[in-house]
Amino acid sequence: MTVWTPGQPVQMETERFTLRSLTQDDATDTYISWWNDADVQEGLGAKPRGWGVQQARRHISRFSNARSFHLGIFCRDDQLLIGFIAVFVELPGVVKTNTVIGNKDFWGQRVVLEVRDRVIQFAFDQLGASKVVGQVDGRNFSSIYNYKAQGFKTEGVLRQQLPNPDGTRHDQVLFGLLKSEWQPDE
Amino acid sequence: MSDAKVILADVLQVSVAAISDDAAIGVTDQWDSLAHMHLILAVEHALGRTLDTDVMLQLDNLAAIQALLNQG
Repeated sequence: MTVWTPGQPVQMETERFTLRSLTQDDATDTYISWWNDADVQEGLGAKPRGWGVQQARRHISRFSNARSFHLGIFCRDDQLLIGFIAVFVELPGVVKTNTVIGNKDFWGQRVVLEVRDRVIQFAFDQLGASKVVGQVDGRNFSSIYNYKAQGFKTEGVLRQQLPNPDGTRHDQVLFGLLKSEWQPDE
Repeated sequence: MSDAKVILADVLQVSVAAISDDAAIGVTDQWDSLAHMHLILAVEHALGRTLDTDVMLQLDNLAAIQALLNQG
């Protein structure tokens, strides 16, 4: 069981990764590069941001560790930062997560399933959530796979919700997982 | 031979014989996130059109893929 006090940094472990609240010192060149990478940002339905260290630090500072969390995903063996997962208490009892794997060497390595499973447990056990939700670009098939593989149910499709850099628009898919439906990956 | 099995075997990089009739997300080990992306793109290529999101979301098992391919 993760011991956590609202407003204080969070740290959790999975089999391969440590998840912990990012700090100003984590706004490294690598972290910043993910915000400026077209492939990585495409997964968020966004364009490269053109961020520098100030924007990155400002972004990190916006997470309170009370109702919002910005957790770095670090390899347990060498503490390499490979991505992050954002967690938001959107409504009472409803927690939204958004996972970004910035290090492309880890794409297709089932990182999202492993780390989000731990965060879902945190949401249900520590944040009092009765439901965890996610929103994904309808053309982000890898992310859709991850939600389905984790037992999330499709709750709706928002038609042409997301603008694309090429001027077209994509649907957005809403996924939800109730506490009563959750089966943690053993 | 099932078209769906051929497509799925190709994206999972296994033999057609290795694809079971109950192949699905959560059942078939090789069916991971990258394979799923390749699968949807392969189905769209086979049909010659971009799938509506509602249709794409149903494609999490072999039977659903075959049913869609049969419809054309």
